[in-house]
Amino acid sequence: MGTAISLDLADDLPRDELDRLADETFRWLREVDARFSTYRDDSEVCRFGRGELLLSEASADLRLVLERCADLWAATDGFFDAYATGGFDPSGYVKGWAAQVASDRLLAAGAANHCLNAGGDVRVRGRAASGRPWRIGVRHPWNPMATCLVLAGTDLAVATSGVYERGHHVFDPRRGAPARGLRSVTVVGTDLGVADAYATAAVAMGAAGRSWLDRLPDHPHAVVTDDARLLHSTNLPLA
Amino acid sequence: MRRALLAITGLAASTTALVVLKSAPGASQVAQDLPAEAQPAVPGGAAPAGAETSAAPSASAAAPKPSRSAARAPATRPSPTSGARTPSARKTSSKPAQPTTRTVTGPVVENEYGNVQVQITLSGSRIVDAVALELPEDTAQSDQRSRQVDDTYSGTSGLVVELQGADLDTVSGATATSTAYRQSLQAALDRAS
Repeated sequence: MGTAISLDLADDLPRDELDRLADETFRWLREVDARFSTYRDDSEVCRFGRGELLLSEASADLRLVLERCADLWAATDGFFDAYATGGFDPSGYVKGWAAQVASDRLLAAGAANHCLNAGGDVRVRGRAASGRPWRIGVRHPWNPMATCLVLAGTDLAVATSGVYERGHHVFDPRRGAPARGLRSVTVVGTDLGVADAYATAAVAMGAAGRSWLDRLPDHPHAVVTDDARLLHSTNLPLA
Repeated sequence: MRRALLAITGLAASTTALVVLKSAPGASQVAQDLPAEAQPAVPGGAAPAGAETSAAPSASAAAPKPSRSAARAPATRPSPTSGARTPSARKTSSKPAQPTTRTVTGPVVENEYGNVQVQITLSGSRIVDAVALELPEDTAQSDQRSRQVDDTYSGTSGLVVELQGADLDTVSGATATSTAYRQSLQAALDRAS
């Protein structure tokens, strides 16, 4: 996927232990990349997409991803669509899911205070080394070096979908064309894969995505419209 | 071309927008008929035959309507450029003796979806081209929908997006590519720590 991953372990653990936890995290994420990347012809996803791999032969992880993608398709009125671009491409869920699993494993391994950022999808738990809750900026849609919102919390999954990157489109699966109306959507929840899928679905919905997000009580959100207005739920965990 | 014609037809049916036609050689001029030789906008008056036949019905549908919407427009637009947009100089396209080519610009008409302004090119009394100078940003339906969203939305009322905040631990954003990452605040944070 070519995605940049940042990991911040804030627990006061021995250096060896921290190194081991970091290595395990990155090994898992590389494994996911090898199996789920749509850019690698030999990945499990590509073989499944070409029909070379039957569902019954697929790994438990792939079957889980397929099931979750189907659930999310239903939950988003079809706007989160792993088949939107023609072939099977679950990347919109896999990145958040993989980071969520990594964060769950860190927690189980005794690293209760960490911040994992997988290509802009963020999972934070506990507190930063300074002792305060994690502070998460939301990228400014027109300025990659700036943020337009700051969130803070001790147990947050924060996913942002946007169409501000050159050549990066979110497809509206109903019209078969790039979505317009919302430049950037940030969704906060507890499961990063779900938050990411919701954010992507809202961008695909266009202007109507806001009212759809508004009906998700457990997922506060912020949107930046194409005409540069910033709107967010009243229960968004602002810093 | 086809889109502009559709816009005209729709307006004629719903808002009687094209009642007042006037020529506009420049954006700030009041309406006046133009002689043929001072006509830069039309390539020699040569237009496809299909355009004439398809455009004519829209014009005839629009012309006889009363100018209710058009007369209302200037009252709600007290802008300095209202000279170009006011329908006060009401010159309906009169039929010239010989087929000269003229460009005629309609007034800016506000409807519930936004402003609409249409410019037509006539050869004699025939419309040979029609261009929408101003149309609502998106489709009318989606604009209406977004306003309905505004009315029912329970979140904040919509601030202009501004730069914010320092002292961050991480940045959420769609940095899907490594190029975007290198140019991002997240990369700077990673370097700093």
